[in-house]
Amino acid sequence: MDGQEQLMLVMNDITKRFPGIVANDHVSFALRKGEIHTLLGENGAGKSTLMNVLDGIYYPDEGEIFIEGKRVNLRSPLDSMKHGIGMIHQHFMLVDSLSVIENVILGLESQGFFVDKRAIAHQIEAIATRYNFRVDPYARIWQLSVGEQQRVEIIKTLFRGARILILDEPTAVLTPQESEELFGILREMKSEGKSIIFISHKLNEVMSVSDRVTVLRKGRLIGTVDTAAVTEGELAKMMIGRDVLFRLERKKAELGPEVLKVEDALAYNDRGLIAVNKLNITVHAGEIVGIAGVAGNGQVELAECITGLRRLAGGHVALKGVDVTNASPCTLASAGVNYIPADRLGVGLVPNLSTIENAMLRNYRKEPISKGAFISYAAACTYTDGLIKKYDIAVPLQNAPVKVLSGGNMQKLLLAREIGERPKLLIAEHPTRGLDVGATEFVRSMLLEQRNNGVAILLISEDLDEILMVADRVAVMYEGRIVGIVDVDSVDVAQIGLMMAGSTAAVQS
Amino acid sequence: MLRFEKRDKTPIQLRLLVPAVSVLLGLLVGSVVMLFARVNPLKAYGAIVKGAFGSGYTFSETLVIAVPLILISAGLCLVYRMKFLNIGAKGQYIIGAICGSYLALFGPATLSRPLLLTLMMVLGMIGGALWAIIPALLKVYWNVNEVIATLLLNYIASYILWYFMYGTWGTRGFPLSKNFAVNAQLPRILPAPSRLHIGLFFALAAAVVIWVIIRKTRFGYEAMVIGENERAARYAGINVVKTVIIAAAISGGLDGLAGIAHTSAVLRLLQLEINSDYGYTAIIVAWLAGLDPLVAVGVSVLLAALEAGGYQIQIVMRVPFGIVGVIESAILFCLLAGEIVTHYHIRLTRRVAA
Repeated sequence: MDGQEQLMLVMNDITKRFPGIVANDHVSFALRKGEIHTLLGENGAGKSTLMNVLDGIYYPDEGEIFIEGKRVNLRSPLDSMKHGIGMIHQHFMLVDSLSVIENVILGLESQGFFVDKRAIAHQIEAIATRYNFRVDPYARIWQLSVGEQQRVEIIKTLFRGARILILDEPTAVLTPQESEELFGILREMKSEGKSIIFISHKLNEVMSVSDRVTVLRKGRLIGTVDTAAVTEGELAKMMIGRDVLFRLERKKAELGPEVLKVEDALAYNDRGLIAVNKLNITVHAGEIVGIAGVAGNGQVELAECITGLRRLAGGHVALKGVDVTNASPCTLASAGVNYIPADRLGVGLVPNLSTIENAMLRNYRKEPISKGAFISYAAACTYTDGLIKKYDIAVPLQNAPVKVLSGGNMQKLLLAREIGERPKLLIAEHPTRGLDVGATEFVRSMLLEQRNNGVAILLISEDLDEILMVADRVAVMYEGRIVGIVDVDSVDVAQIGLMMAGSTAAVQS
Repeated sequence: MLRFEKRDKTPIQLRLLVPAVSVLLGLLVGSVVMLFARVNPLKAYGAIVKGAFGSGYTFSETLVIAVPLILISAGLCLVYRMKFLNIGAKGQYIIGAICGSYLALFGPATLSRPLLLTLMMVLGMIGGALWAIIPALLKVYWNVNEVIATLLLNYIASYILWYFMYGTWGTRGFPLSKNFAVNAQLPRILPAPSRLHIGLFFALAAAVVIWVIIRKTRFGYEAMVIGENERAARYAGINVVKTVIIAAAISGGLDGLAGIAHTSAVLRLLQLEINSDYGYTAIIVAWLAGLDPLVAVGVSVLLAALEAGGYQIQIVMRVPFGIVGVIESAILFCLLAGEIVTHYHIRLTRRVAA
């Protein structure tokens, strides 16, 4: 069979059921030798389940897996590793305080009691050189940038002899330039005959990097297509089953009075290092200011300073001309500052509490939910019902823990709660991260609606496309400072990318 | 091969099954130990039941033990929901007993009985509350683990009691205080020899009040949010420092009340052994009750029965009282192990050659 020989991996009729749902319903997937193959689909489409089956984390209820024509049983990640499958997770599995060498050999059975670090360092450098990048084997992980850490993950899988690499949304944490470099590495590996499975939401990346695309929807296989033969629009339609609006209706901003003014803000991160460094920014009523930047450049700390969750070590924050520097979160919330945190389940919601108990989190101190020292759960229930209907949130049971909701519905609930409070200032931190196309569209249009209603919005996002789509002004944050602020209509994407990477040339020009 | 898969939610049957199986396994472990001691476990358990519920008197003795268990476990239900793992009820109980006893032993003799008793109870609560506030402050300001802090404070409290008993509060070189005056004895509510006292009503009231706090009030909601996700609590504008301190004080106050009520009504003097280990038994009560203070009332009576019956079998069948500790520990052990069943699906899979 000529065709079979070219195939690195075949997953045949994979079915995986979880209580109540079929995560993969007779899904088949084939990976050629030396190709970059994108797995595309909304959240809950079954991509992760399929890849976890391949990584040995789940065992399928039905179906077979062949690697180079041989049937295999993958019962654990170790099995998968032995068959040359390596997965690079979105959240890196690295030990910060260890060196690159130590991380690469961590858990390898083939290493004896004594480790010849120099030999391993040579091997690491050899791998890096082969794919045209550099990494210092003796560096500690915490000293490396996010992009470099990702390369360590890649080296780890290659060191273990991986011939099939799975990358789960690898560009979510990278600058556009770093993403390009990553694509360069992937293409290099492809020319070496490695097979790469690339999971992504970002259609433009899918188009530029992959040879073929397999689309999943609601656990079913929709189809596999050659990238060259489709357009972004067609892929999006396959993914969500209908046409998508890529452009949101946006009328010109009607600027109101200044709502937020941050002056010379100085704040430290949890490790005691300067995170926000003499930062200045203003936001007016009726405008969205987008803060672009690579994660870890002080965006989270800035949002926390404005919402009262982190102390300012210097500078001022004013809300409608009133100084609110280091006011309590409670004071700021009642002054109309609302916040959609990036970490939904870690900060914005309480996973084990019910939808009702989460919906009332912001206004349980107010009538009618609060009655003196007591809480009226009946009133809270009515309030929650209202939010669920108005924002079309799919909640199976109001008393069930909120963690059983899908990611999109969690975010809808969070958004509904924050804008239901009629904010003056809304801080949205990565509001569409991890959401599927439908929910993303919903969140973005809600942000625009709030802006049109005169709310001042600070949008913090790593997704430059998102900022360009909804924001009126773009500010780029790098190492705790705003290194440039431009009107969205006169923006030069390349220049923004350079500023995100901290290029001073771009900042000065 | 065993596989663990995380559950989204715990079925209600499991939540009932785990405590029930834990109790059964606890009793089973007790049986094994008894068999080694050449005692028929069935007879022993029969004697325990008889010793606890056999007559009006024995049942009232069971309730005597249940009173401090109800008081302490009610407070623990509140703080455990906040994930403030107070295991220092023993110490708070002792300090409460010392503070209240001070007034009983050295207070002005002119005070009327109701006033003196009220002041003793209040002082006991304040003492217990302060002893619980210490670890709360250490936790909220310096992030000191409260499990260790409260545990160590138990030892300090014990030795403070020793200090007074072997020091100025002892009588004629014995570690016993003089008997409390009648005015300083909390009234008993049944004819002698029953020692059941009006602390029972304090306990039932406390259980109801804590239940209302947990289920119906802003404070209870705030404590629950802190327990489930402290960052979300701060984000929601909840004053975490204040809430943790107040809840710890409530819990410690109830522990202190249990200590002084038991001392004043049952023992009627202060001594080295004031049954402060109820502070540990109540931890088991709170977990068995699923942190519901009303359920904890029933569970308190059951564990009190085990203790009361345990004294009986020690006397009648010469089984060491330590067997009760073995059973209780086994129950708690199974209960904590049961957590894994409530949070994970456990599947048995056959390993197939790859």
